[in-house]
Amino acid sequence: MELNAHIPSGPLAEKWDNHKFSSKLVNPANRRKFKLIVVGTGLAGASAAATLAEQGYKVHAFCIHDSPRRAHSIAAQGGINAAKNYQTDGDSVFRLFYDTIKGGDFRAREANVYRLAQVSNNIIDQCVAQGVPFAREYGGSLANRSFGGAQVSRTFYARGQTGQQLLLGAYSALSRQIHSGGVTMFNRREMMDLVVIDGRARGIITRNLITGNLESHWADAVLLCTGGYGNAYFLSTNAMASNVTAAWRAYKHGAGFANPSFVQIHPTCIPVHGDYQSKLTLMSESLRNDGRVWVPKNTGDKRPPADIPENERDYYLENKYPSFGNLVPRDVASRNAKEQCDQGKGVGSTGLAVYLDFADAIKRDGQSTILRKYGNLFQMYEKITDSSPLKEPMMIFPAVHYTMGGLWVDYNLMTTIPGLFALGECNFSDHGANRLGASALMQGLADGYFVIPTAVAAYLGESSLSQVSDSASPFTDAQQKVGQRLQKILRNSSGSATGKVTVDDIHKELGRLLWDNCGMARNKQDLESALQKLPEIRQKFWDKVYVPGSGSELNQSLERAGRVADFLEFGEIMIHDALRREESCGCHLREESQTEENEAKRDDANYSHVSVWEYKGDGVEPEMHKEELSFEYVTPSQRSYK
Amino acid sequence: MWLLRFFSSSIGKKILMAVTGLLLLLFLVAHAVGNAAIFFGSSAFQAYADALHSLPVVVFVFGLGLLVVFLVHITIGIQLFLQNRKTGAARYAVTTRVVKNTFASSTMPYTGLLILLFVVIHVFGFGVNPSGVEVSTLVKDLLGNFFYGLFYLFSFCVLAVHLSHGFWSMLQTLGFNHPRYNDGIAKLTYIVPGFFLVFFGTIVLYFMTGIGAAY
Amino acid sequence: MSTIDLTLQIWRQKNSDALGQLENYTLEKISTDMSFLEMLDVLNEKLTLEGKDPVAFDHDCREGICGMCGAVVNGVAHGPEKETTLCQLHMRHFKTGDTLVIEPFRSRAFPVRKDLVVDRSAMDKIIQAGGYVSVNTGGAPDGNSIPISSHLAELAMDAAACIGCGACVAGCPNGAAMLFTSAKISQLCLLPQGHAERKQRALSMVETMDKEGFGNCTNLRECEAVCPKNISIRNIARLNREFVKATLSEG
Ligand SMILES: Cc1cc2nc3c(=O)[nH]c(=O)nc-3n(C[C@H](O)[C@H](O)[C@H](O)COP(=O)(O)OP(=O)(O)OC[C@H]3O[C@@H](n4cnc5c(N)ncnc54)[C@H](O)[C@@H]3O)c2cc1C
Ligand code: HEM
Ligand code: HEM
Ligand code: SF4
Ligand code: F3S
Ligand code: FES
Repeated sequence: MELNAHIPSGPLAEKWDNHKFSSKLVNPANRRKFKLIVVGTGLAGASAAATLAEQGYKVHAFCIHDSPRRAHSIAAQGGINAAKNYQTDGDSVFRLFYDTIKGGDFRAREANVYRLAQVSNNIIDQCVAQGVPFAREYGGSLANRSFGGAQVSRTFYARGQTGQQLLLGAYSALSRQIHSGGVTMFNRREMMDLVVIDGRARGIITRNLITGNLESHWADAVLLCTGGYGNAYFLSTNAMASNVTAAWRAYKHGAGFANPSFVQIHPTCIPVHGDYQSKLTLMSESLRNDGRVWVPKNTGDKRPPADIPENERDYYLENKYPSFGNLVPRDVASRNAKEQCDQGKGVGSTGLAVYLDFADAIKRDGQSTILRKYGNLFQMYEKITDSSPLKEPMMIFPAVHYTMGGLWVDYNLMTTIPGLFALGECNFSDHGANRLGASALMQGLADGYFVIPTAVAAYLGESSLSQVSDSASPFTDAQQKVGQRLQKILRNSSGSATGKVTVDDIHKELGRLLWDNCGMARNKQDLESALQKLPEIRQKFWDKVYVPGSGSELNQSLERAGRVADFLEFGEIMIHDALRREESCGCHLREESQTEENEAKRDDANYSHVSVWEYKGDGVEPEMHKEELSFEYVTPSQRSYK
Repeated sequence: MWLLRFFSSSIGKKILMAVTGLLLLLFLVAHAVGNAAIFFGSSAFQAYADALHSLPVVVFVFGLGLLVVFLVHITIGIQLFLQNRKTGAARYAVTTRVVKNTFASSTMPYTGLLILLFVVIHVFGFGVNPSGVEVSTLVKDLLGNFFYGLFYLFSFCVLAVHLSHGFWSMLQTLGFNHPRYNDGIAKLTYIVPGFFLVFFGTIVLYFMTGIGAAY
Repeated sequence: MSTIDLTLQIWRQKNSDALGQLENYTLEKISTDMSFLEMLDVLNEKLTLEGKDPVAFDHDCREGICGMCGAVVNGVAHGPEKETTLCQLHMRHFKTGDTLVIEPFRSRAFPVRKDLVVDRSAMDKIIQAGGYVSVNTGGAPDGNSIPISSHLAELAMDAAACIGCGACVAGCPNGAAMLFTSAKISQLCLLPQGHAERKQRALSMVETMDKEGFGNCTNLRECEAVCPKNISIRNIARLNREFVKATLSEG
């Protein structure tokens, strides 16, 4: 597998412009002759589909939901970064670039990240023009907040619903193109497989989730905008339908999968409250601006928080990181919470939670001020937990939130399969080993609105594509394979359910395995034992899973089963990847690689690279390739938040 | 043609409903003013009636206009009722109205039709006036009759109910909804129907109770 | 942690063409900390292991923001709690012995696909008819070039908060989609960016709304009462104004 990132020449600040100038174009009259497939209608997918259709390409877009507006991006709360420097507090494209690279612990590509910072400003302008109701100052100018411990205020937001408003903006642009016929929208379709002809991505197989019919769709290029794979852990903050299937199918057709073990675990989520729990809810990071994190000093102290005197409380973040205190980056906060709970100091019925206490903030600023800042979050928390943060401290615990890993792409967002592009969280992204708050929305829209048009034109412009028909053999064969796989999943369903297990049983088992051994802190021994156990779970799935109903109808159990089957395979490269990277970086903490104050210790000498995994056949160990990372404009430094 | 398109659209019908509703309301006001003369004795009232009828053209045009307004209001009201029964009603095994006191709003067509009934009887009693009997005595005789009066009172209550949703609804349809004025509007929604009920009611009682016997 | 026992009557319908009916189920020991959808998960796991067909229902975010979930519980869209989507409704609001009648969102414009799953694409069609500002990507002026008072921005945001769940349609005795449509119209006519097209937008969105088979609004206010995002019928009044203005000048 050849990994050429195709980084344009020239100084960092000019690379993107040089590239746009030197790339091939497709003249407007010819564009309508090209058909493009966009899978997934989140920020990346919706913005890409709309923009490409505006430019004249024939676009076919696919989403799992009954409407493209429901994509997982809708749940993003906090905001979106841009280097506008409206607050003149010293922000700049270079600073946003630097913060993002540093936040990613120097495991991302300079050129990509710089481009991201460059287009961040166009994103805000575009969204405003679409009628996205960003928060405003009284004077009428756009408001900003500082987010995720950044030293500048560069985060734009729309109440606690930034992702919703940005997605609805992209959705409206998409709707306009659907209306004008530029985009043909396929709702309630799940991509089941990729079709590769002569080494190029030429189409997909989808399942109509209402009728169960398998359908073939040809195209000149395929864009995967299918989001992250956090649901491999079963419990995560991701939407229920988010999955790895599309990316995994691509991987099995030869697309490299980069840094699969880089998973961000968000520190402020509502703790698990029972084994029936289906998903975890994020509480915005901003809470840490005023809330104080603590646990009882003595292990197993089960007294209610109010009865625990000040001197028996351990404000461990403030004590350990005097300068950053409760505002340490996500990975540090999460890891320390786990540490405390492992020591038996965890609170709540499960012992898997820490307190986030607003008592002092309320004393200091008064209840009304605190409510103005966090009122809606407090409501949401009370709705779910039935306890009011005004009366007793919140309980929080880390949860899987975002996946930095994804399909490997070059500067043009093209995977190692020509004609197959990956956008948004689906690609291995510009976030290195750890994503800063408010930068995923930025990346999704940058990819979709501003990067992909150039990239697609360049590809179509320089390649001569043969005619393909979706009734020809490559498609019919692929369709047949998908059908057989579904039958295989359904085969246990003849006969009674006794002695069988449900899809969720297996998914939960997989989730536990990954969470315990490939979660916040990882070590050789656990990872290796996990590699042992995984095949057993997979076997159990194929032998015992009971999926009611048939494949020729709306069958939600079957949908979940297909996704879990892929997670079960995918988990393996995740663990392999974590095992092979014997350094700690960003979200990836290897207990073997820590400083004396057990902080994450990076090993730039041996691991300053992207790990890209190549499929070698079922049951065969995947092969790892390296894309070396070189830093010309920043010098990698050890992160320290002491 | 744009006007037709407007009136065939769902909102167009609403607007028409509201406008005719408003006109009917205005008629009631005018009517109330006219009838106020009753309290100033039969001669005064008779004078008013005669004055009115000394301008047959006005009466005719006015009456015709009113008829049209009624017809429009009624036909659309009924059309909406029938259409909505198709799209809405009886969809669920269990139906719960979340909004409090929905009686008036959910009975608009029925209260409306009762009003229609009243108007027909009323107009044939008073409006078209075949025998040369003076209107003032006519009123006295008819309303002096207990059951006739009772029917009137009942009809006025129905009218009040109709308006208790209608008045607010009309304003909402015409686009009047602003936090600053909504409290006031909410009050008017009870005051307006209340006024008509009391005003017209007293007239009837005036005769029923025989106080107006010497009239 | 307290638990409750419930009787459920759920609408079961194999597909759009099949006839459906209510079926009874009983659930014991439901934790009051569960969300309504988690309660349905538990039921489905139970049905699956009994070899029965689980209840199909739509959901995705389970955070009250995607608008995917929704059912009519005892006659109320999204259930008894105000300003709450079904996924954010928790079982602590019910008690042992309760019978919950669970039906799909119904409207002539929402065909039932299976059990509680309905097709709401008619709402997409309304947006496609004009629920956008016609700007292409690129060349947008600086975000601060047009100042917008924070008051206006907040009003627009109030309307923009609509999650497109369809509860307003399901809850409206006339099956009208006025609240949904008016929310989008309001957002775009309040912001200067939306002014250029406001007339055409009002005309074509309302036309589509009527064409898709939604009912007429007779100001019954149920929509507002069941809306999980507290969208106000003030938006409907605004839509009426927009529509009249548009008709008089461009209709
Ligand atoms: C709770 C939460 C809060 C967040 N807050 C922030 C924030 O404040 N700021 C920020 O910058 N980022 C935030 N993020 C991260 C950000 O929301 C996501 O990374 C981003 O929205 C991803 O967008 P996307 O378009 O790449 O993918 P998605 O929005 O996930 O869209 C992918 C879509 O594709 C669909 N799909 C998947 N597989 C298939 C298939 N096989 N066939 C068809 N369709 C498929 C999925 O259902 C999904 O709808 C948050 C994330 C979460 C979970
Ligand atoms: C005579 C037979 C009548 C019928 C069948 C009738 C029917 C209706 C109906 C069905 C509505 C609800 C329509 C809607 O809300 O969109 C309505 C509204 C209304 N009616 Fe009547 N009505 C009648 C008489 C009257 C009279 C006599 C008055 C005046 C005093 C009146 C005043 C109103 C008003 C103000 C509304 C509110 C309009 C709106 O909702 O926008 N109606 N009527
Ligand atoms: C006690 C109360 C009322 C009295 C005493 C009364 C009296 C009269 C009289 C005397 C007339 C004949 C006018 C004329 O032609 O000289 C008349 C006409 C009429 N009234 Fe009333 N009325 C009363 C209430 C109402 C109400 C509540 C309504 C409407 C809902 C109404 C609707 C009409 C109409 C439609 C006409 C015929 C139109 C016209 O000829 O002007 N009346 N009424
Ligand atoms: S207006 Fe309210 S109820 Fe209607 S779709 Fe929007 S959010 Fe749902
Ligand atoms: S409930 Fe229905 S009638 Fe109008 S005010 Fe709401 S749409
Ligand atoms: S599941 Fe998304 S709103 Fe309920």
